[in-house]
This record gives sequence, C-alpha cells and structure tokens, in this order.
Amino acid sequence: MRAFVYDRPDAVDEAVASVAADPQAAFLAGGTTQLDLMKDGVWTPDRLVDISRLPLRGILVESQQLKVGALTTMEQLAAEPVVAQRLTFVREALLAGATVQLRNMATIGGNLLQRTRCRYFRDPTVAACNRRSPDSGCAAVDGVARMHAVLGVDERCIALHASDVAVPLLAVEASVLVSGPSGQRRIPLSEFWVRADEGPSIENVLGHGDLITEIDVPLLPQGWRSGYLKVRDRASYEFALTSAAVAVQMDGDMIADIRIGLGGVGSVPWRAREAEEMLRGTHVDPVRFEQAGRATMASAFTVPGTAFKVDLAVRTLSRQLITMTEATR
Amino acid sequence: MKTTRSTAPAPTAQDEYTVDVFTVVNGAPVQWRVDTRTTLLEALRDSSGLTGTKRGCDQGACGACTVHVDGARVVSCLMLAAQVDGRQVTTVEGLIDEEGRLHPLQEAFVRHDAFQCGFCTPGQLMSAVCLLREGRAGSDAEIREYMSGNLCRCGAYDNIVAAVREAAGGGA
Amino acid sequence: MTATKPDLGTWVGKGIDRVDGPHKVTGTAPYASDVTLPGMVHAVVVTSTVGAGTITKIDTSALLTLPGVRAVFTHENFPRLNPSPDVLFGEAPTAPLQDGRITFHGQEVALVVADTSQEATEAARLIEITYAAEAPLLDPAAGQPEPLPLSPDTSRGDTEAGWAAADVRIGATYRTPENTNNPLGLMGCVAAWDGDHLEIHDTTQGTIALRKTLAAMFGVPESGVRVRVPYLGGGFGAGLNQWPYKLLAAGAARELGRPVKLMLTRPQMFRLVGHRPDTEQQVRLGATRDGTLTMIEHRATVLSSIDFLAVGLITSGTGHLYACPNVATVERTVRLNRRYPTSMRAPGEAEGNWAIETAMDELAYELGMDPLELRLRNLATDLDPASGKPWSSNGVIECCRVGAELFGWSRRDPRPSSMREGDLLLGWGMAAAGFFAYLPMSQARVTVYADGTAAVRSAATDIGTGTYTVITQLAADLLGLHPQQVDCRLGDSDMPASAQSGGSGLASSLSNAVIDAVSHLQGELLTLAGADSPLHGLGPDDVVCRDGALCRRDDPSVRVPIADLLAGQGLVEMSGDGRLRPPDAAAAGMVHAGAYGARFVEVAIDPMIGRLRVRRVVSVTDGGRILNRKLARSQILGATVGGIGQALFEDTLTDPGTGRVANGTFGDYLVAVSADVPDVEVVFVGEPDRYTPSGTKGIGEIGLVGVAAAIGNAVHHATGRRMRDLPITVDQLMM
Repeated sequence: MRAFVYDRPDAVDEAVASVAADPQAAFLAGGTTQLDLMKDGVWTPDRLVDISRLPLRGILVESQQLKVGALTTMEQLAAEPVVAQRLTFVREALLAGATVQLRNMATIGGNLLQRTRCRYFRDPTVAACNRRSPDSGCAAVDGVARMHAVLGVDERCIALHASDVAVPLLAVEASVLVSGPSGQRRIPLSEFWVRADEGPSIENVLGHGDLITEIDVPLLPQGWRSGYLKVRDRASYEFALTSAAVAVQMDGDMIADIRIGLGGVGSVPWRAREAEEMLRGTHVDPVRFEQAGRATMASAFTVPGTAFKVDLAVRTLSRQLITMTEATR
Repeated sequence: MKTTRSTAPAPTAQDEYTVDVFTVVNGAPVQWRVDTRTTLLEALRDSSGLTGTKRGCDQGACGACTVHVDGARVVSCLMLAAQVDGRQVTTVEGLIDEEGRLHPLQEAFVRHDAFQCGFCTPGQLMSAVCLLREGRAGSDAEIREYMSGNLCRCGAYDNIVAAVREAAGGGA
Repeated sequence: MTATKPDLGTWVGKGIDRVDGPHKVTGTAPYASDVTLPGMVHAVVVTSTVGAGTITKIDTSALLTLPGVRAVFTHENFPRLNPSPDVLFGEAPTAPLQDGRITFHGQEVALVVADTSQEATEAARLIEITYAAEAPLLDPAAGQPEPLPLSPDTSRGDTEAGWAAADVRIGATYRTPENTNNPLGLMGCVAAWDGDHLEIHDTTQGTIALRKTLAAMFGVPESGVRVRVPYLGGGFGAGLNQWPYKLLAAGAARELGRPVKLMLTRPQMFRLVGHRPDTEQQVRLGATRDGTLTMIEHRATVLSSIDFLAVGLITSGTGHLYACPNVATVERTVRLNRRYPTSMRAPGEAEGNWAIETAMDELAYELGMDPLELRLRNLATDLDPASGKPWSSNGVIECCRVGAELFGWSRRDPRPSSMREGDLLLGWGMAAAGFFAYLPMSQARVTVYADGTAAVRSAATDIGTGTYTVITQLAADLLGLHPQQVDCRLGDSDMPASAQSGGSGLASSLSNAVIDAVSHLQGELLTLAGADSPLHGLGPDDVVCRDGALCRRDDPSVRVPIADLLAGQGLVEMSGDGRLRPPDAAAAGMVHAGAYGARFVEVAIDPMIGRLRVRRVVSVTDGGRILNRKLARSQILGATVGGIGQALFEDTLTDPGTGRVANGTFGDYLVAVSADVPDVEVVFVGEPDRYTPSGTKGIGEIGLVGVAAAIGNAVHHATGRRMRDLPITVDQLMM
C-alpha cells in the first residue's frame, strides 16, 4: 500500500473542502472496497479523508420514503423494520450481498460506489484495462470472463457492477443527495452510473470532491410485493451470476404495475424497462415472462465465458416473476 | 552488484504518515503509534502482540481476522487501525473471563471438535459470539448462512454448527 | 516389530477432545506467522509478470532509497545455492534467483527486505523489471508427453481381448481442473542464523525433509539446522515440498545477519506452493451382460511445470479396486509454462476416482443394472487383483452395503429425473473409493519420569488431523497412564526423525514407532531391575507399564514403581527410542491395504436456474483401527467438504495468453462455505489392519475420494445429463 496522510474532519463541509482541494485525496468510509484496492496497488491516493464518523448515519422514516444516511451500514439498513415490510427486495438483496462482517463495515453510499471485481482491473500488472488506464485495451474480453457483464458493455470493457442492493434501489427509483465543491444536488440512480459502453474509464457522474450524503428510497405503496433472487454457484458469500429484483402490484391475476432490476449482468445495475412495459397490464403468463426477459437481454454483448448469462438471466427473471405473482393468484 | 544496504534506514517516515490511535482492546486502554497504512489486523498482531487474530487472505474474503468493534463483528484486515480510534475492540484473547475460564462457545468448540488445524478458529469464534448476540441461531440453516463469512478449509463446518447450536441452548 | 500385540483399548479409539484444543480456541497456539524475533526484518516476494522468457534488467537502486528498505535480492546478488538433495516427494522445485530464466507467470524473481511488511510490500510494488518475454507453452496438445516416475504404466491380461469379449462397452473422456490447496494459514517462515546454525519456523508438513534440503543447499551440517512447526494452519499437500520461498528467506537472513520473516500473500498461495494439476483421462470399460467387468483401460494426462513434475498417481489405484482380469493403465505428463504442481488431499485418487467411478455409473446405466450392484459384483475384497495375494484387510464391500442401508438406496428409482420434490429434481448417486497404502519411516522417543508422567517426542507435524491427540491416547494405553499424564511434543526436527504428515501415512507410521519405542523403553527399564527384583530376567515383551509401575504382563500384581527403578541408579528419567519396523511384505504373504470407502449422496437441482444443493451425504470408511472416533469423524467430514468443493466449485483458471492465474483470490476461487454443506453421516467399518501392530490406516484423504463422482452420478440421476468435467456449475445444469 502506498503511504498516505490520514485525516478525519468533523464536518461534511470540511471533508468536501479537504478532498476538493487535493487531486490526490479521497474519501474513506467503510473501506471494504477501498483498502482492498489500495493493497492491490490499483488505487493509490496520497491522502485519505475518513468520513466514517460524520453525522451521516441513520434512517429517517417518512410516509412515502426513507432518508438513509450515506454512512448507514448494510446491516443497519437490513435491520430497519420498514425495509422488511415495504422494501422486502432491498432487505433480501442486502442480506444476500455480503457476510455479516462486511455488512457491518460497508456503507450504503459506498456500496453504490463499489468498483468492479474484474480480476484484470484489480491486477495492476495486467496492462490492458480501459477502465484503469484509458485506451490500453481489455484483457478480460480475451481472458477468463465468467463473472463479467453482458449488458451495457462492448469489446472495450466488460466490467460488472457487482452490487446487489443497488439493483432493487434502482428499481424503486431511489436517488442520492450529493454535497460537492459547488454545493448540493440530487441525482436519481437512473442517472448516476455510466455504462462501460459509454466510456469504460468513467463509472459514475460524481466529480472529485463530491460526497454522497443521503440516499432517498421511495417506499413501495401498500399492496405491492417484492423479492430478490440471486443465483450463484455457492450457497452463500458469492457475487451474483445473475439476480432479479422484482416488485409487483397485482390486481387479481393481472400485473397492475411492476418494477424490475437485474444484477450480475450489467456494467451498471440494470433496470429492465422493456420487460416492465411488456408485463404491465398483462395476465400472469410464464411464456410472456420469458419473452420479457429475452427482450431485456436482446442487446447483450457476450464473450465465450459469459454467454450462459443471457439464458440464465432470462430464467432468473422468469423464476422471480413466477414467485412474485404466484401468491396472489 | 551488491544491493544490500547495511546501514540503518534514514528516518524518512514523516510524522504525517504516522498516526496515534487511542483505543480499548479487550477492556484495556491501548495506544498505538503506527504507519497510517497499518490495518487493525496488523496493529493487533504486531503492535499489541495479540496474534490470536489470524491473517488468512488480507482481502476480506476468509473471515480469519474477524474481531468485534463496538460489539459488531468486522474483518480487521479491511479496517485501518486509525479507524478504531476511540472504539472498543475485542479479540479472541478477550473471550475468556477474568478467572481465565473459557467462553461457553470456546468450550463447545473443543467438545464438538469444531476445528482441525485451528487457524480459522479465532475468527469462527468471534463470528459465532456475535451470531448468538444477533439472534441468528434459530436453525441449522440460519447458523450456516450467518457463519458463511468464515472459511474453514479443513471442513469443520458441521461441527461448528453443532457447537453454535449447543451454545445457543439448542442442545447438541 | 514387536511380536506381542499391544494392549490397546482403554484410550485408543475413544473420542476424547483434541489435546491441543484449548490452545486453538484461545488463540495461543503459535503458528509460524505468529513468530517474532528480535531484530527481525520482513521480506516480500516479487513475482514475474510474464509466463516465459528471461529477465534482461532489474533496477533496484530506487527501491533502496525508500523508507525502511534494507535489501533487494535478485538473481544478480542472491547467494548461489548447492543442488537440491533428493528428499521425500522430490527435490526442491527450483533454486530461486539463480538465473534470470522465467518458466511460469508468477514465478519468484526478487525479494525485497524492509523493516516492516508495509514498507517491503510497497517497495516490491515499485520494482521495475524488464523481460525478454517469450510465448509461454500452455497448450497440452503442443507439449511433449513423458512418463511419470511414480506412476508407471501397468498392464495385466489382454484388454483388447476383454473389449472384444464384452457385451456392453463404454468409453469416454473425463477432465478435472487445477485445484489449489489453499490452507487457511498463509505459508511462510521466519529464518534466523547463528553462525552456521539455522533455525526456521515454517509451514512445512515435513520437518526432516526441509532440514535436509536447507542443510544441503546452504552447505551446512544437517545437525545445525532446526525446523520448528508446532502448529500448522493446514496444508493439504501444499506443505510437502521444499518451496523456493523457504530458500529465499534463509538466504536473505544469512546475507543480512538478521532474522527474516517471509509470509506469502493469498494470491501467491495460488502460484508458489503447488496445486492439484489438471487431468484429462480416457476410460474404457467392458462387461458381460451380467455386469462382470471384462476390461478396464485408464489413460491419463496430467500437467506439470517446466522444472517440476506432477506426482501423478491418477491411474495407480485403478488396477486394485475391481477384480478384472484385463487392465491397462497409461499415465503421461506434459511440461508447460505453468506453476509448480504438488499433491493435494487425495492426490491422484481424487482425480482418477472421478473418471473411473463416473464410468462405472455409465456402465451400470448401459447394462440397465443398479450402480451399487455393479460395484458389489466386481469389487476385489479378498485378493489384490494385481498381485493375486490377500489384502491385509479390505472392507470396501462392507462400506458399500452399510452405506446403502443407511442411505436407503433400495428406495431409489433408477430412472433419471424420476424423483422429484416440487420443482426440484432429486438425484441419488454413489461411488466406491480406495486410497493407496503408504507407510513411510518414522521414529519416536518415549520417556517416563520419576513423577509418573511420560512424554512422547517426534519431529512429525500435526496439520490438524489430530496427531498430538491420537499419539497421546496411544501412549496412555501403552504406558497405562491417563492421557493427561502424557505430554506429546511434535513439530521439531531436533526430535526423533519422522515422516511428513502426508500420503495418509503418518498415523500408522508414527503409532507403530511409538509402540516400538515403548517396547524398547520397557527393555531399558528392565536393565534397572536387579537380581532381587521380581521382574529380574524378564524380556521387554513380558512386562507392561501400568500407573507408573513396570508390571509382569501375565500378572500385573507383580509390579515395581518406575520411580524406584530409576532411583536405584540415580536416574530421573528413562527413554526408549523406536521406529516403524515394516514387515517384510513377501514374508507376510499379504498386500498392505489402504483405506476404503463408499459415498452416497443426494442432490436437489432446480433445473430452471441450474441451482444444485447437496442435501445428504452418507460416508462410510474402512480406516482399520480408529484411534479417536471423534477426530476420525472430523477427518471424514472435512474431506467430504473438500470433495464437495472439488465437485462444484474449485477451479483455478489460467489466462490463455499469458499463463497468469486468472482467479487467484478467495473472492474469485470458490471453496465450500458452511451453507454449502449438509449434515454428513460418517460411519466407520472394518477391523484393525493386519499389516502392522497398530492396525490403523490413514484416513486423512480417503474421505474425499468418491465424493465428486457420487455427486456427479447423482446429477445424472436427477437430470439425465452425464457430468464428465469438473466442476459441475450452474451453466451445466440449466434445463
């Protein structure tokens, strides 16, 4: 790990100013991604500004939404009763997302900012990585690529965004509140991440010194059901091969309204809008579920190692749609 | 070409790369003056000599370095020592009581042979102590899920589950 | 070997708690990584970033100006080492930093030494190395096949005639991938010199082989090298070899005149301490309509590194499990620009069994016969089919029968996909298993003290199998003491020499050495019995130790306190040294048998999303005499977990262009976690083996053998899909 200066300011403004003033400075929160990257030598900040004690921890429950402090841990959010009742798929994604040890450390803000697990990205001795160093190529495309993305990618980069909880948060149209050098702004998650095929070296729209302070999560209205299905090789403690976050409002055996997010497939957490549109207002029909999945995956870019993900994602979504619509039939 | 340097290194470690950490480990106040890069795992092992906490991967992926910070289980390899300034840390050395008696989980681990080489054991124990506190020993499946952050390459999982179940009051 | 059968049974076999348990649960058991010595500095290995070629330039001058950095060793300044001696499991793979040649991606190319590990790690990251890179040879088809010394070709009968005579024939290709041993304990050492004396705290499974290697390569007397391994964070074979890192640490410590600590990183554990190498195997089986095997042909290719050959043993069990008159085995290796291979838990047998026991299942389906019935018809239990001589013991049929009964095998509907539970497909599969007998040499010293306590000393290591505990139990029985009165110390090459823990040979080897040592101890004690002693004139086997006294074996009431015997000569202790005295195989008229087993597995598969869960395992093992039921069960449980990992997860991947390990972390290389493992029913059958007095067979590895094939066969039963390549993953199971 490269030597760095450690600061722990007391206020958000101070932290933002401190990072903004130094191009080689960065925020440190839960550290679960950052320390790993620093040890790998992929990320070498000269100054770490520890924000983990800033007053950005806690959950405010309002009638229509949760205001989640960015430093709230995954474990704290999963333990919130309203999340279990009104955002079941968020809770399930949190619990499936990491071990208890990591959930006790990792913050929600940090989770949204997690870097890809691509081993080529994480090994600085691999020269070809467009994400790490622009225009250097992509070793993963010709390499071992099982845990890589198939949506929002092209031959320049197939890095996966491996977050679980970001998938239902995107589906439920959460937004982040950002404090930066030029003040505060709100960014919907749908506009937060940048797809690899839109520029592999840029991961999100935050600028240097921008700090997520809060995540606003709309509650699903009464009468909605939601759930998160994660498919992986191991029974626990593994990133998703594919996952599906589905929230649905049923009217008899009719899908009145629906939100779908897919994980394990995209360079960014993936909202399946085509599938939502195909299913909204239709009767429960597994054939149509599969068609909706196929439509979502139609734009997939695959390499030999990731080809299976197209079919698996369709099946994962179909299964979760069946599960979510079953009980109301 | 001889690149060995026999003279002591110049004191180039500047103060801004050093941090003072005041913390409480196993109930006793501790002060560390360490390189800012020092992880909690390294401070415990190298600065405090508490070598019960093990390094199995240094990447947050095996659980061998699990300790408690303010009562919550964390992996100490992914936390800077500086981050526990002012916090309470508990390691496996802190599980025995004042009279030196083993924690019931330690006893259950021995009785159920819940380890073989023993290297993952401190981390398994620290995880299991929290698991009981978290109320997650309701079933074998629940114990398995919430112990899955601790790899055991010797494969003692069934015996670990039995030990946790017994310590939770569920019988052997 | 002593003529009298030892009197075992008070403590041997009992499931007492691990004697080292309290140390392990309190974090006080010292592993090599826990050792700190005054003046110690830290070394970090730098590894190559090309897969083949030579180093043309290493610029280390900038590194030496970094804080804390004391030295950088490269092939230009590392001491020249003597050739490696031949020790058990082969010589050192290669002497490190002797030239600039690169034979695999991730090879040791430099060593950075600094005051702290952080300083050494950061300096290692900044080192600049220029290579004349060559295209690495990575395609087995492009390599030159060569035989393996430990796995000679075998042949009996006429396999072509057997093929012609068969009513039913199957032939297929099976593959097993590279698996990495990955003990939880990172391997490494602390090396310290005092003049020509070297003391090294290491993670080896064999202290004596390492001592010999270090002494020879550094040109110092073997008597002056001490290897200490009181505790070891697992090994599974990764600790069997004389890996270059040990030589690097010892060399640096000697050059710097300071203790050097060198711990590998987890990614380096995938590159520098061996692995289970990939295999490709072709199996042909022929049988008559009634299920009698007419031929077995087993051809295997296993991958090696350029400088260091794989152990092999893929086909070596094939000719011994089934009574078939026509058997041929052929085993070859190919040297590629790949990292060093080694033995990994159940080396060879785990891979070979996957092919043979899957093929047997295929044959059963071709025959329309129950897979269990096919095994029972052909297993060779009385005579070793290769030599025609009787086995010293063989419980493989009993393993199969007992396992089938416990599992409820008779309720199995043999048709694929016939057993369902809701959306889930259930599959039941089984496999038979054998593991070769291996009896390396060990020595031990048993000492009794005037206070009635006793000690056992040996250089052997306890890698978690329970050697401390079972040897304590054995000594307690032999000396008539409570285990708490016996102190067992291991893991120090200054103690009597011993075999490594590996090859499932140590328990038998060391236990027989202890039996021999006690016999000699009794002989020594008898020399203290004067003419007026009631024991005068008796032989070592006419007496036994009981409760601190030496007694007549046939009349224990005739006894003399050991304290009195010692005091009479002004002694405070007396020792007996012993060693394994292997019987003359020819004279014994039998073939030394290894352990046997049968595995029965239920899987549940969700065919829509390809999700497989192992729901139930019944694992039956013939391990000869079981020294401690609790610890023996743990061995089988743990090996079952390893087998589940082999079947479903473990797959060390190599970048096609460079030979780099593509998934060398615990986040990317999956091993089984708690949630993957069902409750496993472990049963032991069989009798003490006749070959040695202790009657025990090694059981550290047999529990893994057959698990993967039983799972694969269960997958076929559930889905109708035949699994021939490991691991079995989600993408193969979507239906």
